[in-house]
Amino acid sequence: MSINEKFSSIRKGLLEFLVLKIISADHVYAADILKELNATEFATQEGTLYPLLSKLRREELVDYEWKESEAGPPRKYYKLTGKGREQLRETLDYWQKISGTVKNLGQK
Amino acid sequence: MNRVITINLNGNAYQLEESGYEALRAYLDNAARRLEGNPDKDEIIDDIEQAIADKFRALLGANKTVVVTKEVTGVIAEMGPVEDATTAGQPANESGQQAGGNQPKTAATDTGAESDPTAVRRLYRIYPEGAMLSGVCNGLAAYFNVDVTFFRIGFVILAFCWGFGLLLYPLLVLLIPLAKTRAEKSAAGAAASATAQEFIRRAKAGYYEGMKTFHDKQAHREWKRKFKQEMRGWKHGFQREMHENAQQWQQNWSQHWAAQHPRTWIGMGFTLEILKWVKLLLLVLASYAVFSLIQHGSVFGLLLPAGIPVWIGVIILIVIYKFVTWPIKALKYGYYAQGFPPCGYRGPWFAGPFTGLVWLGFLVALVWLANHFSPEFHNALKQVPPLLHQAIDDVQRWLEPS
Repeated sequence: MSINEKFSSIRKGLLEFLVLKIISADHVYAADILKELNATEFATQEGTLYPLLSKLRREELVDYEWKESEAGPPRKYYKLTGKGREQLRETLDYWQKISGTVKNLGQK
Repeated sequence: MNRVITINLNGNAYQLEESGYEALRAYLDNAARRLEGNPDKDEIIDDIEQAIADKFRALLGANKTVVVTKEVTGVIAEMGPVEDATTAGQPANESGQQAGGNQPKTAATDTGAESDPTAVRRLYRIYPEGAMLSGVCNGLAAYFNVDVTFFRIGFVILAFCWGFGLLLYPLLVLLIPLAKTRAEKSAAGAAASATAQEFIRRAKAGYYEGMKTFHDKQAHREWKRKFKQEMRGWKHGFQREMHENAQQWQQNWSQHWAAQHPRTWIGMGFTLEILKWVKLLLLVLASYAVFSLIQHGSVFGLLLPAGIPVWIGVIILIVIYKFVTWPIKALKYGYYAQGFPPCGYRGPWFAGPFTGLVWLGFLVALVWLANHFSPEFHNALKQVPPLLHQAIDDVQRWLEPS
């Protein structure tokens, strides 16, 4: 089992957190989210992203607005809600803690 | 040279090669199925269509107006399998790629949550979800991914064959383990089982989803033509098979009986008499089934699935009746072919039509009596003309080009 496979469920769990983090830049288009993710080891496809975005919206962590685009029909631009920002802050704190733990364990 | 189909993706027209269109339709149908139960299903599908449209637009230019199949499958692979985020969170599985995605990055995103096609299937009894007695047919149906009703009818027919089904069923109850855990149930295929309701739901989801997405006329007509073609093929195949089987039976029986001593004629006459009564009983049962279907919308407690008109149910019942009585008929003809009854007298030439007339008279008398003495039947009879009108309307709507 490669490292890549071993971490697939962890990456999957982190995806939601990362999407929130990307959206925190405000007014993000789904294709931009993918572009940003695909440059990393968290490469994701539309088939996964759209259901996830709709779930986040249902949990009232993100919201979107329609905006005209230069080419083609209007697009959905996503942004965080207050609740979403709160959750992102908490998750970031928790992540700091975890990565601190990973760093410190076994160091004595 | 390939045919081109025009589709409408979120308000924009795109021209696709026919096989590419099929692939895209399959992908969207599959996505709709995966998102079944998700309150945002329609919205997600719209988003996905929009994303596909964007990708198509990027592929086309002034000198290129058709998306070829290879490009469609490429876009589908890029999109990746649609997963319902609300059901995710179960242990990730690396294998559920059904859209032909082959690049390594899908591995990071795949759950293959509900129905993983590569999961090991095992034969279990499934009880009590949808089971009638102890879940044998239910489990078999899930295992073979066939409608459970086929197995039930199969067992009933087997029960008529010297009680074979009556012996087999308890044996299977003892032999097949009961699915207890959720994992066992999904290994039994329960999650992916195509029961009648499921089939209709899928047909609805897939078909109407397709209609909604591709509501241009050409694609609609194309779909209709294919559907009719398939149905025709199926029907011809079925008829041919029935015919061959009947001939086979006839031959076997006449050969078998030819070897016997003439004294068995008496036994045969007796059997024939019993068969006649069995058939009569079946006829009464079938008539009752049709009656209760029209009257209550259910047959022996089995509800007609929603969305199916009653007249289709009646046709199905008639087909089932024909199917069940067919061995009896074949048997009878087998006797006749052997020259039974032995005295050589087979009735006058009008014997065939004559018995038909007797039956018709009997039926009319029966209907008249029922009409006279049963207010329920009288009411049901009164409903027949509007039902006929509805059936004719349904057929007309189906036939006329939309």
